[in-house]
Amino acid sequence: MHLHRRTTTVLLAASVLTLGLAACGSGGTDSTDPGKPDDKQITIYSGRNEQLVKPLLEKFTEQTGITVRPRYASTAQLAAQLVEEGEKSPADVFFAQDAGALGAVAKRGMFSTLPEATTAKVPQTYRAGTGQWVGVSARARVLAYNPDLVPADQLPKSVFDLTGPQWKGKVALAPTNASFQAFVTAIRVQHGDARAEEFLAGLKANDPQIREGNVKIVEDVNSGIVPVGLVNHYYLGEVAKEQGTTPDGLKVKLHFFPGGDTGALVNVAGVGVLNRSASDPDVQKFVDFLLGTEAQTYFAEQTFEYPVVTDVHGPAYVPPLAELAVPEVDLNDLDTLDATVTMIKNSGLVP
Amino acid sequence: MSNVVLSGVVKRYGRVTALAGADLSVPSGQLTAVLGPSGCGKTTLLRCLAGFERLDAGEIRIDGTRVAGGGRHLPAHRRSIAVVPQEGALFPHLSVADNVGYGLDRATRRSDRVEEVLALVGLAGYGGRMPHQLSGGQQQRVAVARALAPRPSVVLLDEPFSALDAGLRAGLRHDVRQALRADGATGVLVTHDQGEALSVADQVVVLRDGRVIQAGSPTTVYREPADPWVAGFVGDAVLLPAVVEHGSARTALGVVPVAGAVTDGPVTVLVRPEQVRFATGPGAISATVLRHDFHGHDALVGLRLADGTRITARILDGDVAVSLGGEVTVHVDGAARVFPCAERPGGQVEPSTGPVHVGIS
Amino acid sequence: MAVALTPLAYLAVRTGEAGGDRILAELWTERVGLLALRSLGLAAVVTTACVLLGVGTAFLVIRTDLPGRRAFAVLAALPLAVPTYIAAFAWVSAMPRLEGFWPAALVLTLCSYPYVLLPVAAALRGADPAQEEVSRSLGRSGWQTFTAVTLRQIRPATAAGALLVALYVLSDFGAVSILRADTFTRAIFVAFDLGFDRTGALVLSSVLVVLTVLLLTGETATRRRGARYARLGGARRAVSRLSLGPARWPAMVALVGVAGLALGVPAVSLGRRLAAGVSRPGALPEVLAAAGNSLTVSLAGAALTMLLALPLGLLAARAPGPLTTVLDRLAYLAHALPGVVIGLSLIFFGINVAYPLYQTRWLLALAYATLFLPLAVGAVAGAAAQSPTGLEEVARSLGRGPWTVLRTVTLPLTLPGIGAGAALVFLTGMKELPATLLLRPTGTDTLATELWTSTAVGAYAAAAPYAALLVAISALPTWLLVARSGLLDKEDGGPS
Repeated sequence: MHLHRRTTTVLLAASVLTLGLAACGSGGTDSTDPGKPDDKQITIYSGRNEQLVKPLLEKFTEQTGITVRPRYASTAQLAAQLVEEGEKSPADVFFAQDAGALGAVAKRGMFSTLPEATTAKVPQTYRAGTGQWVGVSARARVLAYNPDLVPADQLPKSVFDLTGPQWKGKVALAPTNASFQAFVTAIRVQHGDARAEEFLAGLKANDPQIREGNVKIVEDVNSGIVPVGLVNHYYLGEVAKEQGTTPDGLKVKLHFFPGGDTGALVNVAGVGVLNRSASDPDVQKFVDFLLGTEAQTYFAEQTFEYPVVTDVHGPAYVPPLAELAVPEVDLNDLDTLDATVTMIKNSGLVP
Repeated sequence: MSNVVLSGVVKRYGRVTALAGADLSVPSGQLTAVLGPSGCGKTTLLRCLAGFERLDAGEIRIDGTRVAGGGRHLPAHRRSIAVVPQEGALFPHLSVADNVGYGLDRATRRSDRVEEVLALVGLAGYGGRMPHQLSGGQQQRVAVARALAPRPSVVLLDEPFSALDAGLRAGLRHDVRQALRADGATGVLVTHDQGEALSVADQVVVLRDGRVIQAGSPTTVYREPADPWVAGFVGDAVLLPAVVEHGSARTALGVVPVAGAVTDGPVTVLVRPEQVRFATGPGAISATVLRHDFHGHDALVGLRLADGTRITARILDGDVAVSLGGEVTVHVDGAARVFPCAERPGGQVEPSTGPVHVGIS
Repeated sequence: MAVALTPLAYLAVRTGEAGGDRILAELWTERVGLLALRSLGLAAVVTTACVLLGVGTAFLVIRTDLPGRRAFAVLAALPLAVPTYIAAFAWVSAMPRLEGFWPAALVLTLCSYPYVLLPVAAALRGADPAQEEVSRSLGRSGWQTFTAVTLRQIRPATAAGALLVALYVLSDFGAVSILRADTFTRAIFVAFDLGFDRTGALVLSSVLVVLTVLLLTGETATRRRGARYARLGGARRAVSRLSLGPARWPAMVALVGVAGLALGVPAVSLGRRLAAGVSRPGALPEVLAAAGNSLTVSLAGAALTMLLALPLGLLAARAPGPLTTVLDRLAYLAHALPGVVIGLSLIFFGINVAYPLYQTRWLLALAYATLFLPLAVGAVAGAAAQSPTGLEEVARSLGRGPWTVLRTVTLPLTLPGIGAGAALVFLTGMKELPATLLLRPTGTDTLATELWTSTAVGAYAAAAPYAALLVAISALPTWLLVARSGLLDKEDGGPS
């Protein structure tokens, strides 16, 4: 039975009309333009988790009267979103979980250069040489281990030892995690591509325990499912918090690779300011707030990270940042990610 | 009350030609039956009339105004032609009253028109029911009432009784006929059932292969069919080869008077089985009884004549003693219809198949 | 149709930018071949399992005298309310070493077999019992009749459900990422995570589009003419029920087992996490606000999707033809793309075409429409196909114009289908995460995003109430769908 031609036309018209309605209807009522400087309102794209930074943002609003409109998602997704949005992005600030993501957005020329006075508060190691982003907290790569399965005296001296036969099937990794990528980039920067490829191949051949995220690695090491795992130091604090105890109360312990080993890389979470907000005093206040004593203390106490401003103390359960034998890697070099990504993909550690 | 005229209507579906130049006139206030076997194009004719299909050629006029053809296609809802489909097709989500009132404007809906047409079809007081609470016959009555309600120019009935059982059907078609007449409606009834067409219509239009073969009153079509095919289609027929001499036909059934003026020569004559009477006396022909099909109100008796020709006789006194294989004598009562050429010499045309027709098979 | 085309246009633009060499380098690798095979393999395994489970369960609850079959019907449909990421997470929590292809297949099957169950149950209820009776009277055994008549009667419904399952598996991210089954979707997400490699991710996505086209072409080719089995006229007769006899006990055990795996494991696992953790969700107003946002966004998505699906569905049912088929298939294409790709494509659309809509609920609703259009179109077309066209012709012959006929006849008759489609879209929208994260208005949290936020930092106890609320709210439309499929009808068949 064929439809009457007219009715067909009506149906087609209806679909076009609904599309039109969808396109025109009630536009923009809840998207106030946050673009105006000094309007006491800023939009933050936060790749850092809401649970971790929300109290901090509330504190900022309390002190300055500036409303924060936070947009939470994974750092990688927000980086992709920012790049897709380009110059029309409604964001003022990108608060990212690692230097690589900040580098990726900076490479597109989307960040403005931060004032000298701001960047000077942070050691050169933890900010962009171009001044386009600045680290606000630091995290160390560590080997989480279960002392029941691995006595402290048998811990590896170098991260490269993990490719040895004695570690077969015993190492947990989260190779899709940005912190792992930064770590591989650091190996390339320090030891060259050949060494990095050899290391990844060794890890892969050693039957690693792949996990989707660092929390899961710490949980599994803690419960004895895996003897050791490569993570960032602060995940111990997060897991302890959820289990209602202190990091010291957990079974899992942290091992910092000694002697400037690449395995002890220190990466940062940081912020970059989008071009359009370069001269917005509200945004500047926010960046300064993150580098102020109160925020830095918050990072140390609440998110178990290292402060980057030198006169604030780090979390209690880890040695101070200054005492770590940090490898000599420039975080500005960590944005050479493309090659790292290809290398990790080719290693077969990820799909 | 409207007069509908179709001229040269052509409708093709791809390579299939459903209507090949149909001409038809539907007189105002009357019921016209469009009769034909399945596939003759009668449903297409109805759909073209209703405005569901576009014509490929020809035109349709209602009261002189062209509604289709010549580049014009008045959409269905502007034609004022209401349809009663085969299955009734009541709107299942509407009550009987809402179904009937569907085609009415708001003011008329509130008047007593709904109740009036419901009464016409014998369903006064049923307005509050839902369609699924009605029997099949009642649903058809509602469908007719719904079509009548807005006083359309024409009501099209598409085999509306075919899904009902025989007993119900006769009563319903009588009632529907009455309702149409009482409302002064012009109707077109599409059917393949010759009994239905002959019994209710004012005019019967016989359609075959997309063309109108004959149009006329039921008696005309039955008694003076346009050709042997129509003769067989509208009823049981005995077709015999014959030679006309001086206004009478010499046939295997003896000499039979012919209707109308016919020139001498070989022809085919039509004799209806009811014209074949059991009789004795001069001119009676003897025949052997082959079959006896009793139908209650009458009986059909299959006979073989001396020369081997098989014929059928309809006898009203069905209990007349006829024994299979026995000998009887018959003669033809009344005049026979004559067709020019012998299309089916020697024997009778098997009537077309149809659910109502009880054949001699 | 622009809705379904936006993501495709976006993919074309972005992969075009990549240039031929880059595309070749990304695609012409053993890895991509393996991923494609694994994705198709997973889709095949899960679809087969869902068909077996869905048809089997539907038959048991509709066509047998199984005790408590109505309760079982609800239990069997409820997994629809459980997002795959919650189910997968629950399984991993319960059995930490679970990972890879087969566990992912298990979790996906348990979460998506209701997509087969619901349409098949409705078809089984609506099937003409006369056909089975004829088959039995012609000397075919019960089993022969089941395979030769019953299965054929429900074939269109089974195929429609199976297609949805297959596309769902291709696009699902939650289960494959948590259970580490290396499929295309996971590779796409990983490409985003690894060095924010948008181009690589999008090139991979276009392969997913190709896989989907293959799947759709295959499905279209296997459709036979006259595959729509309408029953003409006649009173609706109750189907006869098969007496199970002692076989009822193993049947019940099987159904209880499936429900236990699909619902019990997540419930127990989430409960344990809640008991063990000390993190707590935000204050009640926050939880309620998230629930409110989930509701409004999903409702807006469902409404918009239905608006768009209605003309398409009616076209599909009323004017079948090559053009309609192409339009219909196009709607399915976007359904197989991962949410993150749909999200990015609508960012692209919002930034470049409809900036006033950007980061409003409307764009998010549009994303849901893009993702879930096939669910709605299928429901509308199915309902419209069941209401005879004759009714519309009668209405027109009574002097009503096309709009009036649409409003007074077609829409009321299609309403149950529209309701079912809306419920399905609403339900799926509640569970959607990746596109929601990218497109929600800044500062708007939904249950799904709150759940993500909490689990990302291991605050499982904080996540549990959001998960519970999400499942509880999703259970309502699931109930609607169950009721609509006739699984709950009291009408009982006579003795078989």
